[in-house]
Amino acid sequence: MRHEERDTRPGLTRRRVTQGLAASAAVLAAPAVLRAQSGPVRIGYSMARTGPWTGGAQVSQEPNYILWAEQVNAAGGLNVKGTKRPVELISSDDRSEVETVVRSYEKLMGSDKVDLILPPWGSNANFAVAPLANRFGYPFIAPTALSKRLIEMKLPYFFLMLQQPQPMMNALVEMLKGSGAKSAAVIYVDDLFGLENYAALKVAVGGSGISLVEEKSYPGGVKDLSPVLRSIKDKNPDAFIALSYPPDTILASRQSKEIGFNPKFFYASVGTAFPLYKQVMGPSAEGVLGMGSWNRKSSKMAEAYFDAHVKKFNKEPDRWASGATWASLEILQSAVAKVGLDRKAIRDHVATNTHDTVIGKIKFNGSENVATPGSVSQWQKGEFEVVWPKSMATGSLVPKPAWA
Amino acid sequence: MSLGAWLELLASGVITGSIYALVALGLNLQYGLMRILNIAHGEFLMLGAFVTWVAATQLGWSPLAMIPLSFALTFVLGLVIHRLWFKRLTDTSPNVDVFEARALMVCFGLMFLVQNFASWVWGGELRGYDYLTEPVPIPGMGGAQFAANKLLVLGLSLVFAAALIVLLRTTLYGKGVRALMQSPTGAQLVGIDTERLHPLMFGIGLGLSGVAGCLLSMTYTIAPAMGEPYTVTSLIVITLGGFGSMGGALAGGLLLGVVEAVGMHFTSPSLKSLLSYGIFIAVLLLRPNGLFHRKR
Repeated sequence: MRHEERDTRPGLTRRRVTQGLAASAAVLAAPAVLRAQSGPVRIGYSMARTGPWTGGAQVSQEPNYILWAEQVNAAGGLNVKGTKRPVELISSDDRSEVETVVRSYEKLMGSDKVDLILPPWGSNANFAVAPLANRFGYPFIAPTALSKRLIEMKLPYFFLMLQQPQPMMNALVEMLKGSGAKSAAVIYVDDLFGLENYAALKVAVGGSGISLVEEKSYPGGVKDLSPVLRSIKDKNPDAFIALSYPPDTILASRQSKEIGFNPKFFYASVGTAFPLYKQVMGPSAEGVLGMGSWNRKSSKMAEAYFDAHVKKFNKEPDRWASGATWASLEILQSAVAKVGLDRKAIRDHVATNTHDTVIGKIKFNGSENVATPGSVSQWQKGEFEVVWPKSMATGSLVPKPAWA
Repeated sequence: MSLGAWLELLASGVITGSIYALVALGLNLQYGLMRILNIAHGEFLMLGAFVTWVAATQLGWSPLAMIPLSFALTFVLGLVIHRLWFKRLTDTSPNVDVFEARALMVCFGLMFLVQNFASWVWGGELRGYDYLTEPVPIPGMGGAQFAANKLLVLGLSLVFAAALIVLLRTTLYGKGVRALMQSPTGAQLVGIDTERLHPLMFGIGLGLSGVAGCLLSMTYTIAPAMGEPYTVTSLIVITLGGFGSMGGALAGGLLLGVVEAVGMHFTSPSLKSLLSYGIFIAVLLLRPNGLFHRKR
């Protein structure tokens, strides 16, 4: 060994240490490369476990990822075009920060080179990562993003599960109109979600004969809505519509009860579908309307999923985005079974087929799920029943009683 | 607007303000007395809220019983934290300015520590329970009504705030504390024992935060990140009321609550932050010693 003979200096030198480190790194890396061929399917994501998004992320999204991986592994692994391989989830906390989300996914796709990725929580985070995933060529089936602008970006690898603002608001307005409502008051959170839904609502009420008697925005994290609710109460509208996030959904409900504002239709957006809503509102939840699209009674598949969720986490899934999250995993799973881990092929499979899922048939036109119509649900005796449209309904609309 | 509606609006502001005041009093005690600008103050409010939630939903205890318990818990926690960090900082810092800067850094760390501890133990989900949400009509206020838990929050916040102020005004301990605020060196010269007073007052400060959390959990949903906004609001409140002035913090808290409620009614809730920070900046520019400061 010439190298050995030439290097006569005793002990460790910096160069030697560096060489040693590099060599051991190479040794360690080699099995990883081998593993990637036959070992587990590595699926990466970042998720809010701390910070303001956590409430939504830990109810509607991450529990489903965990449950799904567990179920797949219990069944012998993920079917990759006939070969069963275990699923390994590689996840981290994004602290509810858009920059951290972007950095995490850059690492997952750029340097970790995971096999597949799963989306983060919420419209804002998806807005930031979607173009990135598209550039890296990772199919991205987002269960908790709601924005027309995401669809208008026309990213071929990006799919949205939830019904978008316009169909949701159209469904709400159709239902209100069909039930004889003449006036409505709206409050909306002043971010992407609230603004887009508000704009969609304005379009939907146009020509419907329903007049908006009050339109007010509020900031996320608001602690007191009673001054606004009191002035709305004075105007006595038939319907109250809150385009709100979970904490404000509950705040608006509690404070409406507090001041005795009990319109014929009380609608609040994100969070009404959470089991938390009936916990904190108790019997007062009865008759409250909100964004929901499925429940345990929707189908046999829904029932199996619901029960597995309760068994694993000792808590119920929410009646809107949880179902969409589960459906997105079903779509991904069946695509991988059909075409393997070729990401372009997965993308094409998702884009062109109609998928059978826990929340019914799903079909994409561009990025948008066009098979699920806009829907409205209502709390009735402890269950969030889908009451609109008739094709999805699990119950029929009942008049809202006084706050109990 | 009718008189009844006005009264109702003002009252809702006072209710929110009473919580601001309670949180701010604790922070003011820590800052005014010890120069600890406790950025983590709101986190102990969150702890108080979470233990109350656990007791109410999992053990089936009355949230009312948790008021003294959450005070005791955060009080003891305060003693421990003071012993572990702030005592050592006091001993090693050359002067009070260096201490203030170092203590601020420690408080930042503490904030992350406590918040992540809560996320780890309870998860980041939104939590809540149903307690005394029945509306109670107020006689003589033109049909105004408030949830029973809100009235409870108002009453107890004011009781605790008043108790602290009376304690500081009338007892020998209180005299010692006030002396320390006026002149730390002078107070030590006449034999006031800072070794005992500092941990005690730090603990009481956190205890009040814990009580506020307990009360808040009755009216709002709770999450590990809930504390920070209250810390920020109490900073505004103690600026309004004057650093170290307890009466000022109480008045400042109530005032801020009322201003926010009225402002939100006539403009839009989206402008609430603009309103509070506008007041904050105006007070800093025009009355840097607080609204109620009298020239000596």
